Amino acid sequence: MTDRLPQAGSAAMRAARRRDPMSLLQNYWPIILTALALALVPLRYGDSRATMGIAVAGVLFATYAVAFNIIFGSTGQLFLCVGALAGVGAFSSAILADRAGLPLLLSMVLATLLSSALGAVFSWLVVRRSLDTIFTGILTLTLSLSFANLILGQRNWTGGETGLVVDAGSETVLGSQIPPYYVMLGLLVIFLVIYRLLQQSHLGWAFRALRDDEVAAELAGVNVARYRIYAGAIGSAMLGMAGAVWAHSEGFIGPSTFAFGSVDVRVIVMLAFGGIGTLLGPVLGAVVFTVVDEFLVSFSQLREALYGGVIIVLFLGFKQGVMFEVRRIAIKLRRRPGQAAPRAQGSRT
Amino acid sequence: MTAVFLDGIVLGLQFGLLGVGLTLVYGLGGILNLAHGSMAVVGAIVVANSMAAGASVLLAVAAGLLAVGALGLLLDGTLMRAVYRLHGESRVLLSLLLTLGVAFVIDGLLVWRYPIGGLGIHIGGDPIEILGVRMRTGSLLASAISIGAGAILVAFFRLSTAGRAVRSVIQDEIGARLCGINPAAVRSLIFGLSGMLAALVAITRSMTAPITTTAGIDFTILALIVTVVGGLGSVAGAFLAGIILGIVNTVSSFYIGTYITTIMLLAAAGLTILLRPSGLLGRRA
Repeated sequence: MTDRLPQAGSAAMRAARRRDPMSLLQNYWPIILTALALALVPLRYGDSRATMGIAVAGVLFATYAVAFNIIFGSTGQLFLCVGALAGVGAFSSAILADRAGLPLLLSMVLATLLSSALGAVFSWLVVRRSLDTIFTGILTLTLSLSFANLILGQRNWTGGETGLVVDAGSETVLGSQIPPYYVMLGLLVIFLVIYRLLQQSHLGWAFRALRDDEVAAELAGVNVARYRIYAGAIGSAMLGMAGAVWAHSEGFIGPSTFAFGSVDVRVIVMLAFGGIGTLLGPVLGAVVFTVVDEFLVSFSQLREALYGGVIIVLFLGFKQGVMFEVRRIAIKLRRRPGQAAPRAQGSRT
Repeated sequence: MTAVFLDGIVLGLQFGLLGVGLTLVYGLGGILNLAHGSMAVVGAIVVANSMAAGASVLLAVAAGLLAVGALGLLLDGTLMRAVYRLHGESRVLLSLLLTLGVAFVIDGLLVWRYPIGGLGIHIGGDPIEILGVRMRTGSLLASAISIGAGAILVAFFRLSTAGRAVRSVIQDEIGARLCGINPAAVRSLIFGLSGMLAALVAITRSMTAPITTTAGIDFTILALIVTVVGGLGSVAGAFLAGIILGIVNTVSSFYIGTYITTIMLLAAAGLTILLRPSGLLGRRA
C-alpha cells in the first residue's frame, strides 16, 4: 500500500504541469481510446432499437460506476443509494419538465443540483457524526428504501407502480434511436475527464491520502471532512445528471428503474470487477456486465443468484479488480531476468 | 384500538427475535449478516416441503430449524473464515458485501425453484378473548413461541456456561480468550443459533400471514432496523426496539397507511444512527 503513495499520479502530475499537447495526449489517451472504441458501437448495432437501448443502459451504468467510484473508491464512503440519487435526478427532472413546464435543460440542471445537494447532505451527516462504514451503509440504505417507498406512495407525482411516461425530450435528439447513445457517451467522457482532473488536482491528493490512512491525512493537514463532502456532492451530481438524461432519452421511468437490487448491486459488482479506485475500471466492469447480462437473458431467474455468486468470488479472490490482476500478469510476462520490476501502479489508469 | 395494539405486540415480539439473531452475530464477530432474512425464508421453505412430504408440523418445524442452523454453520465455516482474518473496517465491509452476495444467491435460487411458493401454517381452534379482544389462535401461539424463545435465550445467556462464554466474547474478546474461551467456537455456535432464530421467526410469521419466497429482503431490512434502533450488539435492546417498532408499525399502518409506515420505520433507524448511534440499549457511548 505504502509504496504507491509517492508514485501515485506523479507522471500525470508532471504532464499536467507542462501542459504541452503531447503530454496532454499521454495523459488522456486511455479516455480518448475508450471513447473511440465505444463510439464504434452504433456502427455495428445501430439498426436495432433494442440493442441500442441496451447499449445506452450499459453506458448509463458506466457513468453510475464512475460516480460511485468517486464517492466510495476515492473517499471510502459506502453510499448504498446510487439508484436513489439517480432516481431523484430522473424523477425531479421529469416532473419539472412535464408538470412545471420548465425548459428541458433547466430542469435537468435543477435535478442535478438537487441530487448533488442530497448527496452532500448525507455526506455531511456521515462526516459530522463520524459514522463508520457500516453506519454509512445503513444510513444511505434507509435513504434508498425510503425513496423506493416514496415513489410507490406518491402516485399522483410519480405514477406509483405503473411508472411515469416522460414526454419532455421525446421531440429532441434524445427521442431518436442513436443520438441518445452519443449523449450518454459524451456524459461518460466528461465524467472520466473530471475523474482524471480530480486525481491530478489537490483534491485527488487529499482523496488518496485520506483513503490510505485517514488519521495520517488529518495530521498532515488534510481537511478530511471537507474533501469527503466534496466527493459526495460531485459523485451525487453525476448520478443525478445521468439519471435525468436517462429519463428523457428512455421516455419512461418506473419504481424498478432505480431500485436498490437493480442498480446498487450491479454498480458494486461492476466497480469491484473493474477495480475500485481506477480510472477505466468502472467502464470495463459496465461493458463486461452489460454483455454478460445479455447472455444470461434466457436464465433471467437465475441471474440474481449468479450476480450473488459473482460478488462473492470477486470480493474473495480479486479484491483489487480484474484490471489489476491482468496488469500484474502482463507485467510478470514482460519482466526479464535481471531487470528491475516495472512501476506497476505508477499511472493508475 | 386495543386490538391494533395487541397485534403490534405480537408483531413486535417477532421483530425482536429477528433482530436478536442479527445483533448477536454482529456483536460477536463484527459481521452484519445481510443474508439473515433469506436464511429465514429457507427455513419456511423447508417446513413447507417437509409438510408437503407428509411430516407432522412439529417434525417439519424441527427440520426447518436444523436446516437453517446448519446453513449458518456452513456460512461460518466457509465464507466467514476469510472475513474473520480481517480486522476493523475492512472486516465489516467484506462481511457486508459477502453476505449481500449470499442473500442474492439464496433469493435467486429460491425464486427460480419456487416462483410462486408461499407458506402458511394454519392452526385451527376458536378465537380466544383477551382484554376484550378476540385473538386468533395462530397469533397467540406465535407470540407464545416468541416469548418462550426470548425467555430461553435470556436464560441461556444468564445461566449456562456457554451463554456466559458468548457474553464474555461480546464484551472483550481478548479477555475471554485469556480465560480459556475459544472465540471461533463461540462464533460458530452463535451463527448457527442466529440461523435457527431467523427460521423460527419465518415459521411463526407463517402462522398469521403467508410467507413468499421473495420475503427475504424485507426480513433482512426489518431485522436491520430493529438491530440499529435497539443498539448493535444488544439483545435486550433488540427485543425492546422490536416491540416498540411492532406497535408503531401496526398502529400507523392501521391509521395512516402502509408506505408512510415503512418510511417511518426507516426514518427511525436513520435518526437513531444520527442521534444515538449506540441505539436504545447499546453498550458503546
